[in-house]
Amino acid sequence: MRRFRLLAAVLALGMATAACSATQHRTGSDSSSGTPSRTSGAGTPANGPHKKGGTVTIANEQGQTWTCQFNPFNPAAYLESNGFVYEPLIYVDSLNNQAETPMLATGYRWNADKTQIVFTVRDGVKWNDGQPFTAADVAFTFNLMKRVPATDLYALWSAAGLKSVTASGNQVTLAFKQTAETYFYAFADQVSIVPQHIFGSGEAAAHPDTWADPHPVGTGPFKVDPCSPNNIQYTANSGYWQAGKPYIQKVEYPAYLDNGPANLDLAAGKAQWGSQFIPGIKNFYLDKSPDNHTWSPPVLNVSLFPNLDPSHKATSNPAVRQAIAHAIDRSRVAAIGEGGQEPPGNQSGVVLPTFQKYYDAGAVSAAGYDKPDPAKAAQLLSGAGYSPAHPLKLSVITITGYTDWDASLAVIKQQLKPIGIDLTVQDLAQQTFDTRLYTGDFDLAYYGEPTGGPTPYYELREILASANTAPLGKQANGNYERYRNPAVDALFQQYATADDAGQVAIVKQIEAAVIKDVPVIPVTESVDWFQYNTADIAGWPTPEDPYAQPAAFNFPDAGQVLLHLYSKAAQ
Amino acid sequence: MRHLLRRLGFFLLTLWAALTLNFLIPRFMPGSPVTALHDRTRGKVSAAALEQMLTSFGFRPHQNIGSQYLQYLGNMVTGHWGLSIGQTLGEPVTTLIGQALPWTLGLVGTATVLAFLLGTLIGVLAGWRRGGRLDTVLPPVFVVTSALPYFWVALLLILVFSVWTGGLLPSDFNYDNTIVPGFSPGFVGSVLQHAVLPGATLLITSIGGWILTMRNNMITVLAEDYVRMGRAKGLSNRRIMYDYAARNAILPNLSGFAMSLGFVISGAILVEYVFNYPGLGYLLYNAVQNVDYPLMQALFMLFTVAVLAAVLVCDLATLWLDPRARAKG
Repeated sequence: MRRFRLLAAVLALGMATAACSATQHRTGSDSSSGTPSRTSGAGTPANGPHKKGGTVTIANEQGQTWTCQFNPFNPAAYLESNGFVYEPLIYVDSLNNQAETPMLATGYRWNADKTQIVFTVRDGVKWNDGQPFTAADVAFTFNLMKRVPATDLYALWSAAGLKSVTASGNQVTLAFKQTAETYFYAFADQVSIVPQHIFGSGEAAAHPDTWADPHPVGTGPFKVDPCSPNNIQYTANSGYWQAGKPYIQKVEYPAYLDNGPANLDLAAGKAQWGSQFIPGIKNFYLDKSPDNHTWSPPVLNVSLFPNLDPSHKATSNPAVRQAIAHAIDRSRVAAIGEGGQEPPGNQSGVVLPTFQKYYDAGAVSAAGYDKPDPAKAAQLLSGAGYSPAHPLKLSVITITGYTDWDASLAVIKQQLKPIGIDLTVQDLAQQTFDTRLYTGDFDLAYYGEPTGGPTPYYELREILASANTAPLGKQANGNYERYRNPAVDALFQQYATADDAGQVAIVKQIEAAVIKDVPVIPVTESVDWFQYNTADIAGWPTPEDPYAQPAAFNFPDAGQVLLHLYSKAAQ
Repeated sequence: MRHLLRRLGFFLLTLWAALTLNFLIPRFMPGSPVTALHDRTRGKVSAAALEQMLTSFGFRPHQNIGSQYLQYLGNMVTGHWGLSIGQTLGEPVTTLIGQALPWTLGLVGTATVLAFLLGTLIGVLAGWRRGGRLDTVLPPVFVVTSALPYFWVALLLILVFSVWTGGLLPSDFNYDNTIVPGFSPGFVGSVLQHAVLPGATLLITSIGGWILTMRNNMITVLAEDYVRMGRAKGLSNRRIMYDYAARNAILPNLSGFAMSLGFVISGAILVEYVFNYPGLGYLLYNAVQNVDYPLMQALFMLFTVAVLAAVLVCDLATLWLDPRARAKG
């Protein structure tokens, strides 16, 4: 009797197992059944048309599962929609001298003093629900930011002085109170255009800032289909306005809570597009397969921010700052602290090689900053009254868990010791660090601005303009070292109206001030982390063809990358 | 009845105190949701714009703290827990908790029940044959393992069973991302596989306590007269062990078990963190990292209520099971 019951139970279980659906995997079956011949891939020109097919998997750690919200105005969610689903008017390539690619606008025209810009909107574009895209949508998007200021993320209607946005025919006119050239990157490249027929009615119209937007309707190359907390799947928008594109038919964006598993998937080739730091990348990733590559272009500086407020006697003394800048061997810091994965910085504040054309090599070497000079550093410091016998005690704050910065600071500490500076490294929790950095509660802070722009102007302005600073105890907004130089402020003003050559000249003048005053001491350059696998997918951005910022968290650049990628197996 | 009312009154008072602390403590933390969001969005958007955005999601830093507090108390009671203002900006807190809760209940709940059952069984057997082979090996070993820190055991298990074996057992996440969730053998298998290591960690570190208390209770009870009486009557060992000794020895352990069920919901933050297991503990960690007041408040409240409710249930159960407690009350 007992045995029979057991048998029955086993049978029932078996039947239940058979009744439930078969295990479905997201990818694999369709790509492996694709044509195996890969011969034609090599013969096709890099930018020529390709056949459609293939899947790309992104491994970009977010530390969270997905919320499946895609509102392009929500800064916690817009990385997953901008570029993929929503598109800007003009794409500006930060890595390639601001090369412009017309997207939803076919072109634009400034007036003489750059206070008014007219965009010509592209014909024949459809939203992914089939409705036509028009100039009215563009005007609607900008006017929405006026109506609901929380959606005006780039302060266009306040700081930039936007006055009015009107559409007529296929023209959209943006009129500003003052010259707005430096905001072009914000309103043409960073702002995504949203559909009036969605954001103009119902809950989306009532709360465009907080609306979840679970099924985003955009003009972009991909649609969200479907999204779950563990994975976002994008499928190609078959009605995309660039005929024949996108070549890639599916993008998988799994949620990773930690770098470790994301890096493992990259090393195993399960994910092809990586966007975070891989420690020991050569052994861990590059040596695993000849198809694994990395190219992480530098975009910003990681610097020592000295406190320039007179209450900080040592760091407000230019001789001390110059001594530190002379003493640090930046190449060694980059090699040891960053494992060679980030290049050394330079005292001009211009990131190389990305912004080479703005770099004033002559000025840097004339000031003696082209190579470390401990002798000169020791001499400067003894002039200020310090020596190895009477060392200057300084503390530097950094963020707990940024182990590469800790390693870099250990090297810096070693290099400053012989000239007579006794550096204490203080690791602080992120939130505490932020508070102390913003309010100026430090001698030295090790920090890098997280966002720049298509020219060095954006980062330098952030760090140096006196508008971005505040008295000690109040929150500064980028100019944490408290640098105030009216001459430099005037240069930032002039930059807005200058032509291209004029802008290069102005940046060089700003570099001269950075070299002379040493308001910050750039040590290394922070990079866009980027790893890519070429077993099946080709068309990635490379140093020879830097058509977009390559990390998946850059928008709208991610959309540009996806428009270039193609599957070799599908050709 | 009076006893019951007193218990309920105490429950409400503790709940209020806990809710008040939940409100105040996060606001004493360094940092603010605005700077946390500023960091996470790579400084692309200015702090002023972010603050405006957070305000639309219900962040009111400049409002009078007293009225914020009253509003908070009301919202906690009525279940209007608001929207997340941290990493998952704009997601309703109830949705987030709803997504994470099953994973924690499944993992930590199962591990707790298993630890209790196994620990009690081993305790009974060890106490029955005091000084026997089982008694000399298992209790000391598990007492040592339960003194080990969670995260250390977790890392060791990952090293041995995941890294050294080339990924035999997954050390990360709740299921294989490439599988479409559904009631399929692959998905269920993947969920189970992903639960093995974190579950084992919890089991190893919590089973020792159950073994030790059960064994000691068992030894005390075995010295009682009614056990001797049972032996004299010629009852089978099995009957004496389970029906006479264990049945009485388990009573104190049961109340401990009710308490530990209350703690299940707060998850095992370190275990979930080490294994990137998206349960309530991981959610809480993220909420604290990102100064997500609404999420923190709701989670802390849930944890408090769960523990308090467990204590209350435990009190009531003791009243019901043990006539002596009733007489005294």
